[in-house]
Amino acid sequence: MSFIEIKNLVKEYQTGTEKVYAVNDVSLNIEENDFVMLFGQSGSGKSTLLTILGGLNKPTSGEIIVDEINLYKLNSKQRSDFRREYIGFIFQNFQLIPYLTVEENVMLPLAIAEYTKTEQKEIVFSLLTKVKLADKSKRLINELSGGEQQRVAIARALVNDPLIFLADEPTGDLDSKTSNSIMNIFTELNNEGKTIVVVTHNKEFIKYANRRIELSDGKIIKADYMPIEMEIVHSIHLNE
Amino acid sequence: MKLYNISLQSIRRKKAKTFFLLTGLMLSVSSVVMLFIVSKNVNSNVASLLDEFGANIIITPKSDELSFNYAGISVNSTTYELYELKNDDIDKIRTIKNSKNISLIAPKLFVLEEINDKKIIIAGIDMKEELRLKKWWKIYGKIPSSDNEILFGSKAMEKLSVRLKDTIQVANHNFIIAGILEETGSQDDAVIFMPIKIVQQIFNKKDKISLIEVAALCYDCPIEEIVRQTSKVLPNANVTPIKQTIESKMTAVHRFEHFSFGISAVILIISMLIVFTNVNASVSERTKEIGIFQAVGFRRTHIMKIILLEVLIVSLFAGLLGFILGIIGSKFIVPLLTMDDIIKINYEFGLIFFSVGFSLLVGLLAGIYPAFRATQLDPTTAFRAL
Repeated sequence: MSFIEIKNLVKEYQTGTEKVYAVNDVSLNIEENDFVMLFGQSGSGKSTLLTILGGLNKPTSGEIIVDEINLYKLNSKQRSDFRREYIGFIFQNFQLIPYLTVEENVMLPLAIAEYTKTEQKEIVFSLLTKVKLADKSKRLINELSGGEQQRVAIARALVNDPLIFLADEPTGDLDSKTSNSIMNIFTELNNEGKTIVVVTHNKEFIKYANRRIELSDGKIIKADYMPIEMEIVHSIHLNE
Repeated sequence: MKLYNISLQSIRRKKAKTFFLLTGLMLSVSSVVMLFIVSKNVNSNVASLLDEFGANIIITPKSDELSFNYAGISVNSTTYELYELKNDDIDKIRTIKNSKNISLIAPKLFVLEEINDKKIIIAGIDMKEELRLKKWWKIYGKIPSSDNEILFGSKAMEKLSVRLKDTIQVANHNFIIAGILEETGSQDDAVIFMPIKIVQQIFNKKDKISLIEVAALCYDCPIEEIVRQTSKVLPNANVTPIKQTIESKMTAVHRFEHFSFGISAVILIISMLIVFTNVNASVSERTKEIGIFQAVGFRRTHIMKIILLEVLIVSLFAGLLGFILGIIGSKFIVPLLTMDDIIKINYEFGLIFFSVGFSLLVGLLAGIYPAFRATQLDPTTAFRAL
């Protein structure tokens, strides 16, 4: 059994009298420690697929099974707990809370965890050191550059030590140098055993992934294996 | 970091939004506090004015023998009295627990006397107290001020065919008619009023009193309680409340109180709308933020707690500040409404709990729906905003 199993996933929206299929009968298996790049044009359904995968967006039909947990059979409370334990989200535009400091933003997921104040501080400090922002922990978000803000977002995603990282256009607003440094962080995380799914329209980043999946009109149109030199074997199941 | 830290930081860093919510709620609380204090003080003021407008308790000796009526109350014949009221009974009335609610005590001694071959009632009164009690009296001439000056009712004057400043003889003593009472339509018109101590002296009724009229108003306690306490200190007297007078006084006193309650209810609704609008708009603006909370694994209850905590913290401060502002405001408003510059304002410091409680209640009632709405926010909507 794969780590993530997506079975016949459909997500439809009603636009006036018309039904729009954001995700249309997608099936896909992702193994533990995969680094997946989801490509596609704007409106191809890649971000919708990502939010469904993260337990934030209930599909119209189909199933997602993560680590043998059928995600949408869980109730709202259990799904929140699942997100906290399994998922680290990273978004385009960084999506940080503007009225919290760098340290507080990273600490945010710990506000509902059973940690003491000292433990929280220790965890956050080590993560900020990892993303090279320890010296800016007391700053407000608007005092940071775009790259720094995205590193804060990555630190926040890391704070619960999740198994899966879901990133939606994480380099969308960054220059190429900063984008590559962000992708390098994902590679490091992948090397540490984390499963990474990145939504991007920038094909230059394919070199960082071991899987490439391309979507169009809510369907998978291409699912490539990683470059041979990476020497990792992955299975892809396409129900097409 | 705990959830309340998020709420606190949101309050601290969103200064403009916090300021408007705090100010709106604070003004509402202060208005209610002011209304409460003003109502209490105006009631007290009206009550003391009404206290001096007619008696509401009449004390008569216990006896079966009746000789005549005064003010609708049967007054015992002095000849057959079994018990008598005396001067020191007035002092006893002053000793009751609710004596602070008694504004005046007007004793009377009635004597049926024959003057110029005509029978007439002579009432010995405490002139000062009687004039306070009967504010509607209009006197021609002057108010009797010495022991040999008397006041005539208009019908008594006609009956005896006398005029202002005439001298008449009562029980072999000469008295000058100092004033004539304008017709009142009551028994007072047929009576000659003299100082009570003179009546006691010349009719050999030392210390005796026929009846005592008491003006008392206890707008925050039942008049029956004052009657009960008075009966206890005067076991040989009938203490009778005049219900009609009391009820009309109480109606007047409570009218402003009802008005205040009405205004307070309107303020409550307005302040709830202020909080509701503010928090609801805030929730809409915070779609993105709520999406982030959901993405990092916050449950719906966590999000609701954050929003409600923010409202309750602001409400708590609004309650405290509103209380202070209400106290300060009432210092200016109470003298204006009572038209009395030197009125003593009664503050109730239990009001601080009321203010905070009121504010928290408004915050909770108005904030609960927007907070609930935040928890029901579709994450997809939030993520579209993202």
